[in-house]
Amino acid sequence: MNFNILLSFSIIVCLLGLIFQFSKWFTAGISPLPLPSVGTRVLSCCRALFTTIFSAKILTLVRAFFVDVVCQKRIFDKSLLRWATHTLIATSFLLLFFLHALSGIVSDFLFSDFQPTRNPFLFLRNLFGLLTLIGIGLATYRRLACKSQRLKSAKTDWLLLVFIGSIICSGIFLEASKMSSYSTYQSMVEEYGALADEEEELALEAFWVHENGLVSANFKSAPATALVASGQEINADSCIECHASNRSGFMSYSIARSIGPVLTFGDGAVQVTFFYYLHLTLCLTFLCWIPFSKMFHMVSAPVSLLIKAVTKSQPSGLANSLNSQMIGLSACTHCGSCSVECSSNMFYESFGNEFILPSEKVQYLKKIAAKQLTEPQIIKELQEGLYVCTSCDRCTSICPSGINLKELFINARYFLTQNGPPEATLLSHFSFPLALANNFVDDHITALKEVTELFKASFTPLSAKAIPLTIGQADTFTENNSYKGCYSCQRCTNICPVVRSYSNPAESLGLLPHQIIYSLGIGDLDLALSSQMIWNCSTCYLCQEHCPNQVELCDIFYGLKNKAVQSIKTGANI
Amino acid sequence: MNYALFEGCNIPVRIPQYSRSMKAVLKKLDVTLETIDDFNCCGYPARNIDESAYLLPSMRNMAIAEARGLDIFVICNCCFASLQKTKQVLNANTQLRNKLNLILAKEGLNFTGSVSIKHFLTVLHDDIGTNKITPSLSWKFTKLSVAVIQGCHILRPREVTLFEDSFVPRITDKLLEILGISSLDWRGKLECCGAALAGINNELSHKLLQEKVTGAKAAGADYIVPICSYCHLQFDTTQKEMTEPTEYDTILPVLVYPQLIGLCLGLEPDQLGIKENNTINQAHIDGLLALLGPPVDKKKTKLKKKTVTC
Repeated sequence: MNFNILLSFSIIVCLLGLIFQFSKWFTAGISPLPLPSVGTRVLSCCRALFTTIFSAKILTLVRAFFVDVVCQKRIFDKSLLRWATHTLIATSFLLLFFLHALSGIVSDFLFSDFQPTRNPFLFLRNLFGLLTLIGIGLATYRRLACKSQRLKSAKTDWLLLVFIGSIICSGIFLEASKMSSYSTYQSMVEEYGALADEEEELALEAFWVHENGLVSANFKSAPATALVASGQEINADSCIECHASNRSGFMSYSIARSIGPVLTFGDGAVQVTFFYYLHLTLCLTFLCWIPFSKMFHMVSAPVSLLIKAVTKSQPSGLANSLNSQMIGLSACTHCGSCSVECSSNMFYESFGNEFILPSEKVQYLKKIAAKQLTEPQIIKELQEGLYVCTSCDRCTSICPSGINLKELFINARYFLTQNGPPEATLLSHFSFPLALANNFVDDHITALKEVTELFKASFTPLSAKAIPLTIGQADTFTENNSYKGCYSCQRCTNICPVVRSYSNPAESLGLLPHQIIYSLGIGDLDLALSSQMIWNCSTCYLCQEHCPNQVELCDIFYGLKNKAVQSIKTGANI
Repeated sequence: MNYALFEGCNIPVRIPQYSRSMKAVLKKLDVTLETIDDFNCCGYPARNIDESAYLLPSMRNMAIAEARGLDIFVICNCCFASLQKTKQVLNANTQLRNKLNLILAKEGLNFTGSVSIKHFLTVLHDDIGTNKITPSLSWKFTKLSVAVIQGCHILRPREVTLFEDSFVPRITDKLLEILGISSLDWRGKLECCGAALAGINNELSHKLLQEKVTGAKAAGADYIVPICSYCHLQFDTTQKEMTEPTEYDTILPVLVYPQLIGLCLGLEPDQLGIKENNTINQAHIDGLLALLGPPVDKKKTKLKKKTVTC
């Protein structure tokens, strides 16, 4: 009775959770463009489904189902350890779920002679339990061993491993406590045994104590061999048809044997009840938790992988692209494979911003999509993380859930520029692949203008200075002293391909190369930083190479850019 | 000869034909390029932001190569300059090296500075040598003029890249000459393609690129041969984007050096991914194949030998 109420409750929670998650696939999304209506998105999804199923693409879909979903080829290609881990946990746990938890429906239907106490069921239950635990062990090992490779583990990652481990362990202990419990033994004898007299009863009990791990007050020490032998005959007549030897339940049997007496304090009934409710509570809680945890990937990752296979990561139209983006976000398991292979990994070490790692970005983008994240400081860090990206697309090609991370990050980058000042990092070579890809060109240019204005407002240009200029402090720029060698020949400016690209370079660029060097010479760093020339330097090094007095102009410009970014970031006054 | 192939971030995802053709060519010349998945970005994109963040990635890459006892073979000029610069800065500044080595130590890596950074042109010209390459050629171009754009960061600053004469570079021309290709003398050869400004000042970036395209065409180039991967993307991708589809036949087509030498070594255009260049069509490939003739040099040497024996 209790069981049915609890089970129904859990199933309802799980179903509601699933509906909630599915609804997010069609309502939320991250894009600089206005989101299409729910109706459009559902319709687009249906249309895409229809055209896929009723076309040759269905073959791709079937193939992807077996190759990518069932066999997990994407993980297999990258790491045998991860593939083994995932396969052990997923396969064993799913088999336990269907054949053990749903035995009343699945196992009874599949096997006419199903009894949980018969073999191979008793043995297989233990085997799958063991394989799951081995998988959990490997997962734990990976999370610890790859920590130095910047694999981040959140509390929920550990919690999940502990959770699954606890379900398996509580099940094993439940079985072990049943094996050693005298009250369980008695009720079984009463229900199934047809024993003639007390002598037979004692013999059978002796056999079960000897063979099956039963703990009985009647046998403080090992029972006599003759008694066990006659018990074995009774066992063969009355029990063995429906109850295999407990030894085949090797894990629970070992526990019953080693700590049986502790488990069966009293007649063991309390312990059996305790472990029963522990196991049941854990399982039902897990069921409720599935839609709200990363375990939802059991549903979303296969969908994501199938979409990837059919669309080749190019879903048609904004609506479907947002749908698959949301499916992708819900399919992230925080496995961290993307971060381990991220090409920007060393920038994370330098800047200490976790959002540079793709796996960490995704966790917060989930919140952004759900409109749960509004804290400006975190958004700022997230923006930096999105820009400090080499666009090498390794994360997208490695993701085991087939999430189109590249597309997600592009959208997020330009979505965030609409919600606050853009990152100063925009003015770096990280922007090269962005320009090349031609995504959201107008948003990019608007953001560039904003950043440029930010820099212009932070430093005083020549036009705003009191004339004549005064000599400032010496050594305001210590990063590179070569500017002191300048003897004003202006060869740098004359050879500069950027200067010659403008009809009125002084107006467009502010200070010209030689003037920047002068500014440093008179100790006016602020003036040097105000020049737009440093940001428009093509870094071709022609000036530096041609300087007759070894002034390292291009390197000095890099140093000035670093200083300008630093002062904007920290809000420091130079 | 064995090298650790450093592809950088652009080549694997945007110009895979560059490294594929390079591997095919070097295999023909008995050089093995080992792919190392663990390599990360060279650090170049961060240089505007933070100099020390620019150095650390290259340091890690070098430490990985050192751990495997391999020298690094680089295709991209910007990666090359970053690795060379980092090596020099860290060899001169022990304090910084020790500080950054602490970060690498977390992964069990350590940078000592023993690794050599080799640009592919140096490997072909010096390590293998034109003397060894010439006899392996099955074909030679009979008539082909190309405009080379060297790329800035392989030449300058010369005391960092340590490549060759930064004012009068000869290696690329020599390597083309042995293939029967004449490398044109043109204004943009040693200048900037504008890539470093893409995404920061697109207008200026395009202007610098257009200047080079016009210059190379005016010099009479059949093809442009960029050395750096950034130059390649500018000419092969951005040039096309800047052009109206109706004007596509005016585009200056792009080939990379391993594709040219690959054809002369008898490799198929497909093995060299020539068609994967955005600016190349089948007519270009047919034209190139029609220009291949017997390697004349071999005959000359044979003739000379004959006269000696007579």
